[in-house]
Amino acid sequence: MISLTINGQTMEVPENTTVLRAAEQAGIVIPTLCNHKDLTPYGGCRLCSVDIQGMRLPATACTMLVSPGMVVHTESAALTRYRRTVLELLLVRFYDAGYTQDGTAKPELDTQFAHWVRYYNIDMKSAMARGPFRQIDSDPNPFIWVDKNKCIMCTRCVRACAEVQGRFVWTQAYRGYDLRIVAGADTTMLQARCESCGACVAHCPTGALDNKMSVKLELPDRTVTTICPYCGVGCQLYLNIKDDASGGRVLSVSSNSKAPINGDHLCVKGRYGYDFIHSPNRLKQPRVRKYLLEGSTRPEKRGPWVEVDWNTALDIAARGLCAARDQYGPDSIGLLTSGKVLNEENYLMNKFARQVLGTNNIDCCDRLNRTSIVDGLTASLGVAAMSNSMQDIVDNARSMLIIGSNVTENHPVFGAKIRQAVLRRGVKLITASPMFFNIEEYAALAIRYKRGSEAMLLNGLMCIILEKGWEDSKFVQERTQGFEEFKAVLDKYSIGEVSRTTGVPVKTLNLAAEMMAMNRPMAAIWGEDISQYTDGIQNVKALANLQMLMGNLGMPGGGVAPLQSQNNSQGACDMGGLPTAYPGYQLVTDEQARQKFQAAWGMELPAKVGLSAPEMISAVDRDSMKALFILGENSMADEAGHSIRQSLKKCDFVVLEEVLSSEISRYADVLLPSVSFAENSGTYTNTDRRIQLVRQAIQPQGEARPDWKIISELVRRIFSRDKRNIPEGKYAGWEYESTAQIMDEIAALTPFYTGISHARLEKGDSLIWPVKSFADSGTSLLYGEQFPGRKGRFMLDAESLAQANS
Amino acid sequence: MKVIRSMVLVSVDETSLEHGAQDVFRAFLDEIDKFGLSDQIAVTTIRDAGIHGDTPLVIVYPDAAVYGPVRVEDVHTIVEEHLYKGNIVPSLLAMMHELVPEISWMRRRQGTLPVQKRIVLERAGIVNPESIEDYILYDGFQALGKALTQMTSSDVIAEVEKSGLQGRGGAGFPTGRKWSFVASTPGNPKYVICNADESEPGTFKDRLVLEGDPFSIIEAMTIAGYAINAHDGYIYIRGEYPLAYRRIENAICQAEAHGLLGDHIFGTDFNFHIHPHAGAGAYICGEETALIESLEGKRGMPRARPPYPTTYGLFGKPTVVNNVETLANIPPILRNGAVWYREVGSPKSTGTKVYTIFGDVNFTGAIEVPMGITLREVIDIYGGGMKNDKKLKLVQTGGSSGTIAPASLQDVPMDFDSFRNAGVSLGSGALLVCNEDTCVVDLAKVILRFFRNECCGKCTPCRIGTLRLYEIMCQISEGKASLLDLDLMQQISEAMSEVSNCGLGQTASTALLDFLKYFREEIEIHIVDRVCPVGVCPISGRLPELHPVS
Repeated sequence: MISLTINGQTMEVPENTTVLRAAEQAGIVIPTLCNHKDLTPYGGCRLCSVDIQGMRLPATACTMLVSPGMVVHTESAALTRYRRTVLELLLVRFYDAGYTQDGTAKPELDTQFAHWVRYYNIDMKSAMARGPFRQIDSDPNPFIWVDKNKCIMCTRCVRACAEVQGRFVWTQAYRGYDLRIVAGADTTMLQARCESCGACVAHCPTGALDNKMSVKLELPDRTVTTICPYCGVGCQLYLNIKDDASGGRVLSVSSNSKAPINGDHLCVKGRYGYDFIHSPNRLKQPRVRKYLLEGSTRPEKRGPWVEVDWNTALDIAARGLCAARDQYGPDSIGLLTSGKVLNEENYLMNKFARQVLGTNNIDCCDRLNRTSIVDGLTASLGVAAMSNSMQDIVDNARSMLIIGSNVTENHPVFGAKIRQAVLRRGVKLITASPMFFNIEEYAALAIRYKRGSEAMLLNGLMCIILEKGWEDSKFVQERTQGFEEFKAVLDKYSIGEVSRTTGVPVKTLNLAAEMMAMNRPMAAIWGEDISQYTDGIQNVKALANLQMLMGNLGMPGGGVAPLQSQNNSQGACDMGGLPTAYPGYQLVTDEQARQKFQAAWGMELPAKVGLSAPEMISAVDRDSMKALFILGENSMADEAGHSIRQSLKKCDFVVLEEVLSSEISRYADVLLPSVSFAENSGTYTNTDRRIQLVRQAIQPQGEARPDWKIISELVRRIFSRDKRNIPEGKYAGWEYESTAQIMDEIAALTPFYTGISHARLEKGDSLIWPVKSFADSGTSLLYGEQFPGRKGRFMLDAESLAQANS
Repeated sequence: MKVIRSMVLVSVDETSLEHGAQDVFRAFLDEIDKFGLSDQIAVTTIRDAGIHGDTPLVIVYPDAAVYGPVRVEDVHTIVEEHLYKGNIVPSLLAMMHELVPEISWMRRRQGTLPVQKRIVLERAGIVNPESIEDYILYDGFQALGKALTQMTSSDVIAEVEKSGLQGRGGAGFPTGRKWSFVASTPGNPKYVICNADESEPGTFKDRLVLEGDPFSIIEAMTIAGYAINAHDGYIYIRGEYPLAYRRIENAICQAEAHGLLGDHIFGTDFNFHIHPHAGAGAYICGEETALIESLEGKRGMPRARPPYPTTYGLFGKPTVVNNVETLANIPPILRNGAVWYREVGSPKSTGTKVYTIFGDVNFTGAIEVPMGITLREVIDIYGGGMKNDKKLKLVQTGGSSGTIAPASLQDVPMDFDSFRNAGVSLGSGALLVCNEDTCVVDLAKVILRFFRNECCGKCTPCRIGTLRLYEIMCQISEGKASLLDLDLMQQISEAMSEVSNCGLGQTASTALLDFLKYFREEIEIHIVDRVCPVGVCPISGRLPELHPVS
C-alpha cells in the first residue's frame, strides 16, 4: 500500500494505482475525457492535469502512478483556467449537428463531454465550430453511426476496439490538426473487419460514435436492467424505454459497466438485435386452424388460420391434448421445452408433462448439443456444467484449448475476453477445429482435424502426455478411478495412426501436448462442434479424461467449459427439461426422487424414462406419438430438417407457443402468442451456472402472454375438462401470481437451487449454483476438493475401445 | 571585403557617458586607424553591460577581455598591446567583483577562446567517412579499447559524469547521470538509442557527424552499451538523410568485420550490436518517447511521462537515448580524460557546441566553438556580420521550438545556465539570424504553421492550440484581429506550455510568447493601426491617416 495526500486528504492505495483512481476512491472528482477504467491510460485530453508537489509542470492524473508521500492538488485557479482552455479548444473542432432531419430534435446530448463543458460554464452552442467540417454519418455500417465532427480524438474507440474486442478496426491517421480516427486504412468499418460489437460506441464520450438505429430517436424515459436473450454468456444490459400508450417501447440497448460478466461490453446481437421486439410480424393474437372451430377432420395441409380469443384457443388446445391422452395414453404426447425461455417456464413445462399429462416425454430444444454434455460430464465428473467461471478462465488460465467452438461468433463476449487474455496475459491458446474459426487468429497453435476424429485426436494427445510423463499422477491417484483400464486402452494407440486418422501432423500433436503440459492450468473450452454429434458423448468424456489426466480440475484457470448455445440451455436442463430427470438432474428412475416429487406434486408420476426429441419425432412417424406441445422453439432449425418436416406434417395435433411465426408454425394447429424477454420477468442460468434476473421492461405486445401464464391457464383448463380437482400437495397447485413464486417452488425441490430467490437476485446478489442455502453466495469453482460423492471417472466408450483394438 | 578578426565594444550607458565614453570611443577609432587596423577591427557600442563602478567598460572580442574603467589615455596601450600585439593588458582589466555577473564571467573566460575548437567535428571533412582504416588512423576506437580493456563500466560512467557533459539534444540533461540511472535500474535487456532524427528546422549538426564521421557514433554507442550493460543499440536516422543512413550502415559492417562491433569486441566478453533504422519524415519522432514508439513499430506519438525511458524505454526496458552530438563527445572524453574536457567551455557547461548559423548573415554554416561564446561573436566573427550591413533584429536559437533573443541579448554567453537565466534556450544549436526587414508576425506565422502541421495530435492543447494560434496569427497579418486576440493567444500558449504532453507542445508557443514579450508593440501596430511596419504582411485596407509612412 502506498500513502499519499490528495487535496489534504491522506489515503492509502495499492501500488500501481493512478492518481485518478486514487482520487476516485476518495470521492474526489477529477475531470477526464480520454480515460476509461477498462482501457489503458492515454493522457491525451489533458483535462485531468493536476499539480503534484515537486513537479515543474502539472501532470495528468490518468497516467501518473502514485508514489509514497506524493502530495497532489486537483484544483487551483490555474488548473481551472487550463481545463477551460482545453475544453474551449476542443469545441473549436467540434460540431453537433443536432440530427433534426426527421423532426424529432434531440435535446443537448448528455454525454461526458457535454457534462464537463457545462461544468466549466462554457456555452457549447456558441463555442463550437460554426458548421460541419466533415461528413456527418460517414460510415455505411448498419449499426454504428459515425460523425467525426464530434470527435475529440480521445482515442477511446481505438483502444476499446483493440483492447476490449481485440479487433483493431479503429486507428489514428494523418497528423497534427488533421489527425482523425479512421477505420483500417481509411476504409469503411466493415471493410476494416468490424464485428459491429459497438464497444467503440459504448466508450465514446461525445456521441461521435452512436447507435445508428437510435441516434435520431428521442431520449428514453427510463432504463431497465435485464439479461441478453441470445447466447449462453448471459450478458447484462440496459433496455432504454420510452413510455407510450402501448406500454413502452425499446429505443435502444446500452451496456452497463456494473454488469457482472460483460461490464461495458456487448456483442452485435445483444446491442443491436432488439428490433424483433417491436417487429410488425409479432404474433399478437392466438390462432387456431379453421377445421378445429368447425369440428371437422383435419385437412391435409391443416387449412387456414383463424384469429381467436384466448379462451377459445386455450380450450381447443386443452381439448386436443386431452383427446390424444384419453385415446392413446399419456405417452402419446410429447413436450419440447426451450433454452430460450425462463427457468420458471421450463420448470412449469416439466411439471406440466409429469404431473398433469403423466408422461416423461419432455425434452429441450438443444438435445443434440446439450444432452451429450449432460450425460458425458455427469458420468465422468458428476456435474453437468462448466466447472469454472468464464472470468476465472480469462483471469487465471495459462493455456486454453478451444475445440470445435466458433467462440467469437457464438459466444462473442467470451470470445472477446479470450482475445483479451491472449493480448494482456500472453495466454497460450490452442485451437482445434475442422474448419477455420476466427479465434484461430489469436492461437499460438491451430490444429485442423478431420471432422469426426475429435476423440481420436484427444486420445492421441493423452497418449503423448502419458508417454512423456506429463500427467498429474498425484491428482490421478488421489481423485480418480478407472485410470489403469484407461491407460491400458491408450497404450494400444499409435501416434502415427492417430495422425493418419485425424489428419494432424505428428509434430503438431507433440507441440500441442507440450504446450498444454508446460502451461498449466489449462482450460478446455468446447462448443457445438464437439457435442452436437452422434458420438458427442464420447468427445465430452475424452475432454473430461484429458483434464483429469492433467490435473486441471478443481483449480482456478482450469476446468471444463462446455459453452451453451442458448441463453438458458443450462437452465432448461437444470429445470427438468429432460426425459430422464426431474429438476436438478434427479432421475425419474430413482425411486427416492420420484417419491419426493409425487409428494410435492400430489400425483402418481411415471417411472419410465421418456422419449428424447429425436425419439419423439420418430415416434410420430411410427404413429405412437399423437400430439406435440412445443414451447418457444423452432425444431426445424435444430433437428434434422427433412425428416422432421415429414413427421410434423403427420402429427395429429401440434400446439405451438411462439413470439414470431417460424418455419414450423405451418405444421401447428394452435398458435399461442408468447412474449419476448423484454416483456417477461424471471431468471436465466448462463453457461457458467450464474442465475440472473430478467426484468420486464415493457407491456406484452398485443394479446401476447408470458409462457408461464399460458401454461398455467392451459393446465387449469385440462383439470376442469377432466373434472378433477387440482391435486393435494405442497407444490401441486397452479395458481401462480408471479415467476418469483415459481422460483420459490423450484428452490424447494431442486437441491442446488436451494438458496435462490428473486428477492436475493433483486438485491444484487450474484448467484452461481450450487447455492445451498439463503446464506450461501454460490460456488463458482466446482470440484475444488472433491468430485460430488465419488472420484472422477476415466470413461472410455465402446468406440474408443474399438478404435484402439482395430 | 573586410574580414573582422576582432571587435571592440564600448559601454555607453548613462554612467559611462558621464565618464567620457564618447571620447573613449572616438579615441579607439583614431588609434585603430593609426595602427592601420580599421579593416580588421570593428568598434561598436554596447548599452546593456550593466551599471557598475568601472565605467566606461571596453570589451574586446573574441578574447572577451573586459577593461575598465578605461580613460582616453589608456586607449593607446590597449590598441597597441592587445589589438596590435595580441597581449591582454592585465593592469587595465576590470575588477571582477565590480562587474555585473554576465560581464564578470566573460572576464574569466579571457584568452581561452581559440577560434573554433573542434571536438565533435574533429575528423569531419578530414577522414574518409567510409574507411575504418582512416578512422583508426585518426585515434579511432582508442577510447573503446581503453574502456573495454582498462575500465569497468562504472569507471566509464564516472568519467563521463566527471566531464560534465550535458545532452546536446536541447534539454541539456547531464549524460553521465542518465547513464548511471539506466545502469542502476533493474531490468534486462537494456538498450542504447542514438537519436539521429535531426529534424529541427535549420539544424544540421548531427548530419555533419553522421556523414563525416560515422564511426565515432558506432564507437560511442558501443561505449554507452558497455557502460550500462546493454547488448543492442538502435540508431534512428532521419529519413531525409539517406547518405547518413548508408554511411552508418557501412560503418556498422566494417566495424563488425574488424571485430570492433558484434560479439567479443576487442576479444573481450562484451557483445554489442547496432541496428540502424530510418525515420519516415515525422518531426515528432525526434522526441525520445515518440522515437521509441516508432522504433517499436507503432505510431510515433510521445508517451506519458513518467515513466521516463531510463526506466521504461524501448520494449518497456531501461533505455539510454542520446543525441548524435552528445555521443560524439564520448570518445574524446575517454581518450583524453574528463579533466581535459572540462578545460573547454564554461565551468558549468563544459565542452564545445556545434552551432548552425543561417539567416541574414554573410556566412551561413556550422561552427564548433566552446560553450559560452556570445551571439555577437557568432554573428560578427563566424557569420561574417549581417548581410548588406542591415541591423540585427533578433535571433531564434534552437530551431523552431527555440526562444527569441532580441538584439539586446546578444552579449549573453551561450551556455546552458547563462541562457536559462536570460530566458533563452540553447536548444539544438540552430541560430536563425534575422535582420530589421523581418516582420515578427510573419515569422510567427511560419513557425506556428510548422507546429500545426508537425504536431502528432495526441494532446488537445497542442493539436488545437497550434491550429488556433496559427489562425489568429494569420488574422493579425491580415489586419482582421483585435487586441483581445492577444490575450487569447497568451491564454492558449499558457495552457500549451503547462499541460501539453511533450516538449513539442510545451515549446511550440515559446517563440510566440517571446514575440509578445519583446515585440508586442510591433504586433499591436498590426492590429490597431492595421499596418505592417516592415511591409511584409498582406494587410488589406487603407493606411491610417495619423501615421503617415515615411
